Order: sequence, then C-alpha cells, then structure tokens
Amino acid sequence: MAASDVTSLKQLVLGRQDVQDLSDTETELAPELMTINMGPSHPAMHGTVRIVLTVDGEKIVKGDVQPGYLHRCFEKESEHATYTQVFPYTDRLNYVSPMINNCGWAMAVEKLMDLTARIPKRAEYIRVIVSEMSRMTDHLTCIGASAMELGAFTAFLYFLKAREWLYGLLEKVSGARLTHSYVRVGGVSKDLPDNFDAELTHTLDEIVKVMVEVEDLLNNNRIFRDRMAGIGAMTKAQALASGCVGPIARACGVDYDVRKDYPYSIYPEVEFDVPVGTTGDCYDRYLVRIEELKQSIHILRQCLKQIPDGPVVVDDHRVALPPKRDTYNTIESMIRHFKHIVDGIRVPAGEAYSFVEGGNGELGFYVVADGTGRPYKAYVRSPSFVHLSTAEDLIRGHFIADVVPIFGMINMIGGECDK
Amino acid sequence: MSEASINPPAPNPSAPAAGSPPPPAPPTDPNKVTLTIDGQTVTVAKGTNVLEAARSLGVDISAFCYHPGLPIVAQCRQCLVSVEKNPKLQPSCQQVCGDGMVVHTTDAQSTLARKQQLEFTLLNHPVDCPICDKAGECTLQKLYFDHDNANSRVDVPKVHKAKAVDLGPTIVLDQERCILCSRCIRTCDEVAGQHQLEFAHRGDHEVLTTAPGAQLDNPYSLNTVDVCPVGALTQKDFRFTMRAWELDATPSVCNGCATGCNIEIHHKNDRAWRLVPRHNPDVNAYWMCDEGRFTYHGLRDQRLAGALVDGLPAGWDRSLAAAGERITTALRQPASVGIVLSAMYSNEDNFALASLAKAWGVTNVFVAAKPPVPARADGRLRVADVNPNAAGVQAIAQALGLATRSTFEGAAQLTALRVLVMLGDILPGIDPDRLRELDLITLSAHERGPVAGAKVALPVADWAEIAGTITNNKGHVQRMHAAFTPPGQALPAWEAIAQLAAVTKATLGRWTHAREVFKDMTAAVPTWKSLTWVREARPLALRFAGSRG
Repeated sequence: MAASDVTSLKQLVLGRQDVQDLSDTETELAPELMTINMGPSHPAMHGTVRIVLTVDGEKIVKGDVQPGYLHRCFEKESEHATYTQVFPYTDRLNYVSPMINNCGWAMAVEKLMDLTARIPKRAEYIRVIVSEMSRMTDHLTCIGASAMELGAFTAFLYFLKAREWLYGLLEKVSGARLTHSYVRVGGVSKDLPDNFDAELTHTLDEIVKVMVEVEDLLNNNRIFRDRMAGIGAMTKAQALASGCVGPIARACGVDYDVRKDYPYSIYPEVEFDVPVGTTGDCYDRYLVRIEELKQSIHILRQCLKQIPDGPVVVDDHRVALPPKRDTYNTIESMIRHFKHIVDGIRVPAGEAYSFVEGGNGELGFYVVADGTGRPYKAYVRSPSFVHLSTAEDLIRGHFIADVVPIFGMINMIGGECDK
Repeated sequence: MSEASINPPAPNPSAPAAGSPPPPAPPTDPNKVTLTIDGQTVTVAKGTNVLEAARSLGVDISAFCYHPGLPIVAQCRQCLVSVEKNPKLQPSCQQVCGDGMVVHTTDAQSTLARKQQLEFTLLNHPVDCPICDKAGECTLQKLYFDHDNANSRVDVPKVHKAKAVDLGPTIVLDQERCILCSRCIRTCDEVAGQHQLEFAHRGDHEVLTTAPGAQLDNPYSLNTVDVCPVGALTQKDFRFTMRAWELDATPSVCNGCATGCNIEIHHKNDRAWRLVPRHNPDVNAYWMCDEGRFTYHGLRDQRLAGALVDGLPAGWDRSLAAAGERITTALRQPASVGIVLSAMYSNEDNFALASLAKAWGVTNVFVAAKPPVPARADGRLRVADVNPNAAGVQAIAQALGLATRSTFEGAAQLTALRVLVMLGDILPGIDPDRLRELDLITLSAHERGPVAGAKVALPVADWAEIAGTITNNKGHVQRMHAAFTPPGQALPAWEAIAQLAAVTKATLGRWTHAREVFKDMTAAVPTWKSLTWVREARPLALRFAGSRG
C-alpha cells in the first residue's frame, strides 16, 4: 500500500490527519484573544465588582469593569428617611471609614441649616478625632489587604491587629464596632468615653511600633516592590482629567487635600503635612497612604492636647434632641423628641453641596431640601466610583496578576462605589 | 365702620397732576375687602375672618379652638395677632377683615403671645405622647414645635385629673390631655344638634364632662374625636390599634348610606383601620356619622377570596366555564334568565352588568336594595336609604332602556327562571328556599346570604378596593379610589362581568380599566355626559404629611 493511500485511508476512517502529519505552526494555540471573568465573587475584588478581561495570553487587552453588585439605593432611600435616619445609610457607604461619611452628611445638612459656625468646639474636635481614626482604619485595611493579596500575609495580620485596636476604641465611643452612626446634625450623639485620652494615646504608640515592623517588611521587599513599582501608573494630567482625588491623585503629584484646600472643622487648628508622590504608580500610592497614617497619628495627638471641654451638640432646639431625663419628665421635651424622631429635623428649603476628605479622597454630599424633615434629593459624590472608572485604563497592557495590586491600591469600596 | 379713616386719602383732583393723569382707581367690589397681612395684600369676601385670609396667603396662624365648620368662640387665645391702630392683640379667628386693615403675625408682640399661650397650655399637659393615639396628628405637638419649642420652666407638680373616663359607647375621655378648646362641645351642638358635653369647675380644675348620668351617645359623636386638637377624646374603635403616622390615606366615599359622605380610608397592609370624613361643602361639610365610620369592619367580614362551584373552590377558569355553560343553555329562552343589579355596588359594576343584560337580551332585570330604615333619617347626614348607589343604578337602567323591578316585586317571577345572575349578596324579599330550584350565579365580595347556596360564586372586590364611582341621593356622582388590593382571586366586579360576557360569547366593551367602563357609561347616560374621570389618587403616607392638626 502506498504512503499516500495510507494517509487517505486514515482520513477516510478517522476523519483527520495524525498529529505528526501536521506542520509545526499548526500545533500551537491559535493566536486568539480570550475572554475571562474576574469577579464578582473573587477574593481580590473588594466588595463585589466584576471585570470581564479580554486577554492576549497573560496580557490584558481590555478590561470591562462592571460595578453595581452592591447597589443599595442610598440616594433614593434617603428621600424616604429623616435627615437623622440617613446616618446609618452613610455608615454603609465606605464601611471602612464610616465616621468620615457621618461627618460629611452632617456638614451638608448643617450648611443647609446655616449651623456650621455654631457647632460646639468640642464636637468639632471629636469629629476630627473619630474621622482621623477612621482614615487610619481605612488605610490600614487598604495596605494590609493589598500586601496579603501579593502574598505578604504577615503585614496583613499586623495591620488588621492595629485596625482592631482602633475599631475597639470606636466601639467604646459609639457603641458599634463597624457601623457607628455616631455623628448627628449639630454635633455628635454622645461625649467621648472616660479615659479615652489615655487609651487612644497608648493605641497610637502601639500602632507606631506596628508600622515600623510592617514598613520593614514591605518597603524594600523585593517581591513587593516588583509587584507594585511601575504598575498601574497614572500621570498627573490623567488623574485630573478623570477627577481622581485623595491618595491616588496625590501619588501622581496632585497636591489636593480637602482638609488643606477647603479647610473645614478644626483642621486649620492642627498642623499636618499632605504627602505627594511622583510616579503615580501602585508603590507611590502605598507610600502616600503610609505617610498619611503617620500624619493622622500626628493630628490625633494634637487633638487630644487641644480638645476643650463643653457641650457636644449645638444648643438649638431645631436640631438637638432634648436630654433623655427631660424627655421622660416634661411634655415640652417629649413633644420635641417625638417631632424630631417621627417628622425629622426640619431643614429649610434650599440646596447645598458639602465635602470632606474621605479615606479615598473628596467625599461630597449634595442635598436638596424642601422644608420638610426628609431630603427631597440626596446625591453622594463617592471617590471610589470615580477611581474605579480609571481602572480599565490602568490595567490595560498589564498582566492578569497585576490587576490585584492595581485594584487593591485603587481601594474601591463596594458600598461607596455602588451607593 | 368708617371707611374714610382707614382708606388712604384719595388724591385731590384739584391739585396739579404733575404732568401725568392720576392712575385709575382699582375697581371696588362692594362685597370684597382688601387688607395687608405680613406685607402681603389679599382681597377676600366681606365677612371673612383674618385667620382664614391669612391661611389663603399661606401664612399659618396657630389656633386650637377655631374650626372652619364650627361657630367661633375665640377661646384658646392662640391665634392672637396685632392689627395696626389697635392697642391690644386681636384673636384673628374672631376679627373680621376690614378694608385697608394691616395685620402682623410675626412681630415681637404676637410671637411672644403665641409662645406664652403654648407654655400655659402645656402647663398641666401629661407626658403621654408615647401612649397617646393622637401623637403624630396632634395640633398641640405641631404648634408647640412650630411656634414655641422652648424648655419647660415648671418646677411644681402638675394638676392631675381623671384619665380614661368612659363618655359613652364610642368614646373615652382623658381629662388631663384636654386643653379646653370646646371644639367638641360645639361639634355636638352644631352637627348632632344635641348639647351633650359641657365644662365643669374653674381654673386649672376645669374639666370636660357630660351631665351626671348622661352619655355622649349622639349618632355623630365621633366627629368630636376628629376635631379634638389633642388626644383627649379617643375613639374606642381605634385606640391602641395603630399609630397615626404609619397609616396611608386614600380618598373615597362612604358606602354606608345614600348620602355618600366624602371620606379618607386610613389603611396599612391591605387593611383599613379607620374612616375619617373629608371636606366636601356640597355633601357632608367636615362630618360623617358614627355608623358610617364603622362600615370598614364589613370589608373583612366573610370575604369570598376564591371562585366557587357548588360551594367548593374551583378557580376562575372552571367557575367561569361552569357559569357560561349554564347561562348559554338557559339563554335559548332569554325569559328563563334573570339578572340582579345591586344598589350596593358601583356605577361601573352595574353598568357592566346592565350592558350584559342587554347583550344577552334578558328582560328580567331586578334591583337588589336594602329596605329603607326610616328611623335613621334625621334631616342631617343620615338618611333612610342605606344603599350607597340606588340613584346610580336607576339612572343606568333608565339610560339603557331596561325595565327594572325591585327584588320584592320580582319574587313572583322566580318560577319562570332557570338561571339568576346576581351582583352582591342580598336578595331582600325573596324566600331563600325558592332559590334552590334555580341556578344562582353570584358576583359578590362576601360569602353570605344567597351566595352561600350559589351554584357558581365569583369573588369580586369590595368598595374600598376599587376605582369607581357611586351616585348619592342628590345625584352627585362621586369618585372612589382603590385603597388596597382585593383579597385572593377577587377582581373588580366589572372585570368579572366582562369575563362572564366572554364565556357566553356576548359582545361587551373591551375594557381594561374602570376608567374605560366609566367612559362608555357616561356616553350612555345623558345626565352624566359632562363627567370626567378623576385621576387615580396615590395613597398619602401620613408620616410624610406631618401633623395635619
């Protein structure tokens, strides 16, 4: 039987040629793009977000970022809640730094009510203290989790330990570990607990020690630097064009911090620096966050020295709940309490935009009031949402594995991004 | 009143006019007066009081004892305002508007008077809001919060009075909460024509009470609960059942009798919790009778929630098929089919059934209506006719050229019938035993009376669950809005009738909404030609309404 006859017989019987009959080029995978899913239930996909990656081998050609899995109708729900009932909703925006969200919302309502200048000094100091503690929990989580996602589990455990100390203190302050709902329109709901000063000072000292350990572990770690430096770099122009704020923009050299540029509360009375990076890559974002942790500690120590005694909520019957003792014993306070709870604080008609420096940057609340006890419209300018919109550009051209540090350093928080 | 002293001096015609002619004087209507309230000019009818004139401008003058439907007594002193050229503050409810009057409601004097008056009113008020039924719709809460909002300055014990005084069959009085505005006394006088309440004692021992041994038992007594600005008078039927701010309000019309008082259904979770009157100057003013208020209990009484064949659940499809088969067979002799319209159901439902009678060629049309109760008629709101829609059924039957008989007259014809299709659950004047001999097909919201023995029973929506109209004894066609959804499989009756038409291959309008039935109906009934369908009212959540006082 001739060889050609064997080939044709094989084709007839098997319907194909043998592998060795094929040329070398045909044995390789076809150079096609592949589509794979990352998330929504991926451990590195903070909260829940889905990225549909189009990859050329390991290289990302396109990343379709699809947020929205954690949408809770924050803005619409707020229209059906009294101004005070919105505070628990704000806790669930950036749930790693809820105190800052609380303050942002309170400040927007206070702006509408023309109360800003009348908030008691002590309340302002308490707000800054809890905000900076929240900023620290935010950064500790962001850095710790990102390091873990790159394999550095020790750093994660060290930072989460430090975060837990702060959460424990915040729980003593507010009564809740995570969703504090502590701030109120006109001040805060209750004064700081006894011995808070000493406990916070001690905690800060301990955190400084932890930070030395973690910086030793990470800053010049070969693996960490290889995975972070030069990855997901963003130019200053790019950051400005897409509306980036906070540590991400500062890592690119944008010197913008709401606390300095639009000073609010008692930030003008404390001394601190705003760290700014140069390269705008993941490593710079890490360094900026580390430095912000140190600055927060600095601010907290000053606040503990400077905080005055006094009331923690404004003395205005339009907004402040009467003391419980009066509520139970006098009809006047009972009615006021009832009206505040059932009808809500009556905010005069108008609109206001107010913004604070959140863990991830400028966190803004836009409120339209119609004179009733409930917002007519509420809008939140959530930094995570803006930052996530840059993710597609940042991951393009990188390897699949680089999505993890890029995403970690964007620090997208599902609750805040999806509202 | 000397107008010359109040009006600005008229321009002197003999004076040099400085080049331009004087502006023409505004036309003056002798029945109108123009005054200024808080800098705003308003023109009102002569005889209007300052309080109403201010409200027409949106200026809220606080008041407890003033009620637009009651005589004015200026008793609470809460509505004091300053009127220029008057040395003392004037009660704005009693002060009649005069031409050129200048009124201030926000000046220091009247603001202080309001605050002080509220402080006095709260002096002995108990700390009851958490357990008070009025909380959330309390005028005292509203006015204190809006106009005073100051801390208590009292450091002596409060004067205590009787709590939970049983005033009569419907009402409980809390004398401590009473602020002595006398609205309830005047309501009994004006609405019921019976002086049953009075004040006793003096000073901070003054209390509201009935005469010794007497009760507050007039048929309009519960209007006193509505007008009570605090929680002094509470309705036994409603107290401790539901918080006011948790309810939704849907406008409707009372189905208790032929008067058709305008009401609001206060409901939550597909259930009505109370009915309160809604202002309509042409029908019921601000009031309704006690009997009407309790009709909401009937909405949950023996409801039919699924379609039945021979008393067993069968679902809509099988029940309609069973009904259709019986009707189609009987319709070979149209004289053997009877139809019963109902004065208890809406215009749309009756129009649909009357149209179906025409389509089937049925001439045995009866009207089921409850017999009149002459003892009810009192020349006020209560009338003898306890059917909400007798006038509507009559107008529809007349317009469609159907000769109707009442069920009382129709009893004699029953022997000639094989199938009786009836709307509602009453057949007054007909012996139930005689119904067993014929196939009874019912469209009813309740499973009682003849419905219990029906061959096919189709569940329909009751009055609080439908969009529709009813016609009262004065010929007003009034709109009802659906407060909640009907139970189970129940449909609006017109829709069930349209399905019955479909299974019997009868031609009926292609209706998808009560509005379309209404459109066909108003085209057919000459006197209703000009009527228009009122847009669906969305339930108003009372918690968003704030205190409506």
